[in-house]
Amino acid sequence: MMDIVEDLWAAYASTLGFAMVNAFFALATYATLSAGILSFGAVTFGAAGGFLGAQMVLHSTVPLPLIFLAAGLAGAVVSLLVAMIFLRLESHWMALASLALVLITRVVVLNTPDLTGGVNGLSIPQPLPLEWLAGLLVVTVGAFYALDRSWYGIAARAVREDTSVATCMGIDPRRIQLIAMGISGFVGGLGGVMMALMLQFVSPDTFFIHVAFTMIAGVVLGGSHHWFGPVLGAAVFTALPTVMQAFIPEMQDIGNGAALLLIMIFLPRGLLDPRAMRLRRARK
Amino acid sequence: MTLLALADVTKSFGGVTAVGGLSFTVRPRHVVGLMGPNGAGKTTIINLISGLLHPDAGTIRLGGQPVTRARPHEIAGGGLARTYQNVRLISGMTALEQVIVGSYLRRGTSLLASILHLPAARAAARATRADAMDLLARVGMADRADTLAETLSYGEQRRIEIARALASQPKLLLLDEPTAGMNAAESAEIGRLVHALRDDGLTVLMVEHNMRLVADFCEHVVVMNFGRKIAEGPPAACIADPAVQEAYFGKQRDAQRHRA
Amino acid sequence: MELFFAQLLNGCALGALYGLFGIGFGLVFATMGILNAAQGAYASWAAIVAMYAIDLLGLPFPVAVLVGILAGGMVAVLVDQIGFEPLRRFGPGLHQAAMLGALITSIAFWIMLESAAGFATGQQSLAFPPGSYPAAVFHAGPMMLPAMQAITLAGLVVVGGGMHWINTRTRFGAAMRAVGWDPVAAGLGGVNARVIVIATAFLSGGISGFAGILSGISTANVSASLGQGLMLKGFAAVVVGGYDDIRGTAIAGLALGVLEVFCAQYLSSSWRDGFAYALLLGFLMLRPRGLFGSAGFTRA
Ligand SMILES: Nc1ncnc2c1ncn2[C@@H]1O[C@H](COP(=O)(O)OP(=O)(O)OP(=O)(O)O)[C@@H](O)[C@H]1O
Ligand SMILES: [Mg+2]
Repeated sequence: MMDIVEDLWAAYASTLGFAMVNAFFALATYATLSAGILSFGAVTFGAAGGFLGAQMVLHSTVPLPLIFLAAGLAGAVVSLLVAMIFLRLESHWMALASLALVLITRVVVLNTPDLTGGVNGLSIPQPLPLEWLAGLLVVTVGAFYALDRSWYGIAARAVREDTSVATCMGIDPRRIQLIAMGISGFVGGLGGVMMALMLQFVSPDTFFIHVAFTMIAGVVLGGSHHWFGPVLGAAVFTALPTVMQAFIPEMQDIGNGAALLLIMIFLPRGLLDPRAMRLRRARK
Repeated sequence: MTLLALADVTKSFGGVTAVGGLSFTVRPRHVVGLMGPNGAGKTTIINLISGLLHPDAGTIRLGGQPVTRARPHEIAGGGLARTYQNVRLISGMTALEQVIVGSYLRRGTSLLASILHLPAARAAARATRADAMDLLARVGMADRADTLAETLSYGEQRRIEIARALASQPKLLLLDEPTAGMNAAESAEIGRLVHALRDDGLTVLMVEHNMRLVADFCEHVVVMNFGRKIAEGPPAACIADPAVQEAYFGKQRDAQRHRA
Repeated sequence: MELFFAQLLNGCALGALYGLFGIGFGLVFATMGILNAAQGAYASWAAIVAMYAIDLLGLPFPVAVLVGILAGGMVAVLVDQIGFEPLRRFGPGLHQAAMLGALITSIAFWIMLESAAGFATGQQSLAFPPGSYPAAVFHAGPMMLPAMQAITLAGLVVVGGGMHWINTRTRFGAAMRAVGWDPVAAGLGGVNARVIVIATAFLSGGISGFAGILSGISTANVSASLGQGLMLKGFAAVVVGGYDDIRGTAIAGLALGVLEVFCAQYLSSSWRDGFAYALLLGFLMLRPRGLFGSAGFTRA
């Protein structure tokens, strides 16, 4: 019996690990989305955290917790710089601009080989203890729960649903969105270093457009109106390819796409939708 | 002594002059009616005062402070709250939550305290909640506190919106057609609520088409047409004013004359 | 000097591809508010179909190009009707929830279409058979103009001009904008919203497909990932030019192409994409509404 459990664990430990790493990225995206910003910036913040973390592991003896902190802060600094430019834009342009940011990130990463290893990337000879990953994720999710209940969470919901109504109630949307970007940056930076350590490798491709798209898909799939939605979505989105691989190996991507499409059409507000839950409760 | 003063306010959209050189003042603890046929520019005035739009020319003062270029949240911070012609409640929130958002300006705790759920923040949240319940009761919606607001009837949503606007404890309340879609009894209910609020010290500027209601509940009326003021003064005199009659009923009379 | 002119021409031809693709991409974004991640796949599929039309069916070049454009348009309509239509019940096209939903379904289609394109090309980089497309070179003094570059530039002028005309002068153009802003209202106003939406999608897919075919020929590379490169630069052209501005997109595309070629030639080839994207970011900061865009607007 123990053997079976151990085998299963061996087979799925890395899937579980990646699901948790992706949860960080999904939460980073959710942080901005829940304040009304559709942004792919978490990829860039992840790159900041990932490469900084990789360099710290390679060239210093700083303990892991401090590396995590540094990576988070690096992401937050980048995000706040980005926010100063982006928050002036109207929402459609902001989405486009953040996509451009992802493209620029790749060019910068490719062209600063001293910092990032350039095309070849960096190998990191240090594994990521899963209990660290799990522990930090729990703390982060807890923080999102607390944020959701706080003044910030309430104001952010108003800004997201109707910005002009929110401002007329005295809420400064820029302030709310600046906080959202800061949170997104910190969590994205954390996700970046986790990803780097999980892969034991970082390269320009680690943080590129596919990551941006999968994480936003994860958030919407899990439920972009609920603090736990991103975690759920990231899990489904990480497990899906593994499952598809098992059943229809050669059609894996087509299966993924079709699954995403079906979910979006039939559950447009995601798996966890507080509004639907309330409606259901009201009907009872 | 004025709470709100508009001087020569002008706003155009492309070629359309929605408001052209409008001036009027609102004195504290008064209920002022803003009237005018469709497209007269009433909603534009409300948007200009609340800062969602900025005038092309002219100045707006709130409590003596110029707010012509201020952003909406700054103006709200200066003691202004409003409702919308087509109710704009926040999707996914219960009636009670709508009112709680409205009290954002009086949250009384720091962000960190609120996130960490410190005792002080919890006490403040309880107080906010209790106040919000009182407001819902005041607009007669206490029994709907936990209902998802978007499932309520139009009239009920309007009342929640008024409660939400009151939650910030404003000095000046702007109501854009608060009785649209309500029957006579419900409308009179709103009128009485407005009177009660005035007696508590609030100033109200309301857009209203219903002449009965204006005559019964407003102390002062501004009537506009095509972005300009065509009459101002006590309700009865304004409504009797030939220019106002012409603006409101002129077209109908023309039509009747044509048919005859 | 000769090199300079040759490179200028190369840059313009490359930029014309970006501009063309961008016009297709910007069309759906401006009218329907959809940020379409699958747009690149339209280009890939159009190129693949056009290539097989020549290779397997032996169709003459112009017919094959038409078939490819048709394929691009049809894929776009398919994506629109399966992926976007169900989301339109959210209401006006520019609502955040609808926009997000459409982005996700377009990502789903991107994944599927690109993967299917991989099967269609046997996961390889193929090419149009040599001699199947015009290869003449026109001489004009010191300048040489290969036929494909001439076709590409002409294509941008014709498509750009045509779209500008449709947009500003025809009832169809007005209907496209009306449907984009509010399909419900447009439906009530006598415009058959669904037909307009389908036609818009078809146009957008056809134009981006045309760019894909031309790109497949000029780079001698027809593969599943053909569209991705076009997509990134075409997207940049849309942002720099202003997404609702065809003239701006065309000019921005040309500028990006020239910039890219000259940067690679005279500065640094590894940073050449960097310059394009830095320009993009600069524009977003200084002229967020694009080249010819008006200053900010407020929605109350
Ligand atoms: N955002 C806008 N863009 C362009 N034109 C506008 C805008 N807002 C208002 N207008 C125009 O300005 C004029 C005044 O509109 P406004 O909404 O202020 O009228 P109103 O008096 O509130 O009318 P109603 O009784 O129908 O609510 C109208 O002609 C309207 O079409
Ligand atoms: Mg109005």
